[in-house]
Amino acid sequence: MNALIAVILGAVTVYLTYTRYARRIDRNVVQSDPKRATPATLYMDGVDFMPTNRNILFGYHFKSIAAAGPIVGAIVAATLWGWLPAMIWLIGGVAFMGWVSDYTAIVLSVRNEGHSLSAVAHRLISPRTRTILFLFIFFYLLLVAGAFVGIMATVMETQPRTHLGMILLVIMGLLLGQMLYRWRIGLVPATLVTVGITLIAIMTGHASEAWFKGLNDGLNALTHGAPLVTYFDPTLGGFKGAEAQVMPSLFFWAIAISVFCYAGSVMPIWRMAQPVVYVGFWITTLAMILGLSGAAIGTFTRPEVAYFSIPAFTGWNPQMGPAGIMPLWPMLFVTIACGAISGWHALFGSVGTARQIENEADMLPVGAGAMLAEFLLGLLALMAISVGAKGTPVAAFANGLGGFIGIWGVPTDYAVSLAFAAFIVIVLVVTQLLFRVMRVTLTEWLGEIIPPLRNQHFASFISIALAILLVMTGTWIYLWQLFGAANQLMAALSLLLVTIWLVSVGKNWIFAGIPMIFMYVTTVASILVTAYNLYFNVYVPNLHAGRTLPAVGSGLMVVVAVLLIIAALFIGVDGYRAFFRYRRQPAPSVRAAPAKG
Amino acid sequence: MYGLTGQQFAHHALEMKQETEALFLLATLGDLAGLPIMPPIYSLGLLPYLVPEIATWKRQLARRKELWEKEEFDLHGV
Repeated sequence: MNALIAVILGAVTVYLTYTRYARRIDRNVVQSDPKRATPATLYMDGVDFMPTNRNILFGYHFKSIAAAGPIVGAIVAATLWGWLPAMIWLIGGVAFMGWVSDYTAIVLSVRNEGHSLSAVAHRLISPRTRTILFLFIFFYLLLVAGAFVGIMATVMETQPRTHLGMILLVIMGLLLGQMLYRWRIGLVPATLVTVGITLIAIMTGHASEAWFKGLNDGLNALTHGAPLVTYFDPTLGGFKGAEAQVMPSLFFWAIAISVFCYAGSVMPIWRMAQPVVYVGFWITTLAMILGLSGAAIGTFTRPEVAYFSIPAFTGWNPQMGPAGIMPLWPMLFVTIACGAISGWHALFGSVGTARQIENEADMLPVGAGAMLAEFLLGLLALMAISVGAKGTPVAAFANGLGGFIGIWGVPTDYAVSLAFAAFIVIVLVVTQLLFRVMRVTLTEWLGEIIPPLRNQHFASFISIALAILLVMTGTWIYLWQLFGAANQLMAALSLLLVTIWLVSVGKNWIFAGIPMIFMYVTTVASILVTAYNLYFNVYVPNLHAGRTLPAVGSGLMVVVAVLLIIAALFIGVDGYRAFFRYRRQPAPSVRAAPAKG
Repeated sequence: MYGLTGQQFAHHALEMKQETEALFLLATLGDLAGLPIMPPIYSLGLLPYLVPEIATWKRQLARRKELWEKEEFDLHGV
């Protein structure tokens, strides 16, 4: 198997899904009508509701949904089960479920006055569904924040070549915000300056490696080489499990990342979060474009960097620690979340996007098109790790992607530095946005009951502290899978809402209903498996060894898993009742759409 | 390409402008929200220019729990 075949498979998947399946649903079931007024044209206020050209909206929507999910998920899944199951799920998931979830979430919002999914859930299912959705959102954010902070701190501790680039990324982000909003410098020159300097810092990161390594060594010397926390990690030792340590240097980088995320959460978005995301976007896009094109061409020019070297399939239930289980079903389907199907896309992207849809004919290319583009991102990540196969999963991904970039004549050191940086950058910029949304969710959910949470600083601090606690348990792989389960459960909820809405307006609901049932059953099962693994593989060994912090963190994760299951059961019951309530009602006649103003 | 790059900055600049306009509307037409600040004789003079913005401003106010809360446009999905 080689990268060119994978690229061809990806292109064929995108073409067939869009032209044969998605268009048919859009035409025959949803019946999008270019003449029907959308909320953007009805309530046009020039800011929130603003009709936007579909090509611009595609870029906006893709930017909202594309993040580190497809990259990290593909890396983990390929390591656990081999590249073949990961590829099958990426292709099958996006073709039958992923585009459905993204597209129908936009349709639902557009056909319901531009309301968010939580508002529609409140009306269509039950008021408590909105509250449960907040619970999902908060824990989803907490879990992914913990997973991202953990993985970033680990990579930054072990890859000193990335530090200079990340420091310059933050400084250039701050500078860009100042240049655009205060000094009124044009976007093109500001981009050239800030992105150029960041790129130079990233590519020459290996030159500063020795200095930052010295910093890490100096930090570890503060405790004379003794770890701050020791914990049992079931993913080490070829997944048999072994002792792992949180050294002062890892803790330092976790705190540094947290400070950055705190600043991104509380400062005005134009000052830091938005420009940093913009600079990071250019870095990652450059690496991905060079990587994808290099993967296709490398098969002919340098086959050694384009052939898959990891096993196609490692087994149905690879061992994870002394007492853990990792069955292919249901765990693969929550390990690769974004890239195949994701609830976050439906929740967040659809509202901002749905309120800018100019006419209904744009819903398909924007919604389904962006999801299919993200599938290609996940496929690239899968190809990179499948050819890399050296060192830890992240290092294997970076080596693989660096090999693809090197096809274009970039020296290996620089190419691998760029690949590492592309990974960390995309994770870093998403994490600061996560904490921003976390503090808002916490305020909305518990602000009335616990008034101090209405203070943005306090809410941000609590969010970050909880994420650090999860990082200190060390088991980010379970964090990732629990996050994947919460994310996919949100996708199931979004599909449930769409299914009920389709029933309420007398349309065929099967194309959304079947993916919904599959995702619901799979994610509830995966939460049960993860809770089992957390309890027997992490909590019990750490408790018996007297390690308080990892035991508390893993215990907290078990509690989160139980809460997610309870929330899923509530939603399942309410959704079941709502479905049959609307089935009994006659289908309403179609309202005539008001004339476009 | 514009959607991936510059559109977010242009959009955010519009959001910042709308925040300032919301503050101006609160100062001039605050009696619509129970906050009489400006004497009506001056508000009525400005009314013809402000009428197109009133509906949008009311929708924004309805979303907030407190009048002084900042609008965070990027978080409407929550």
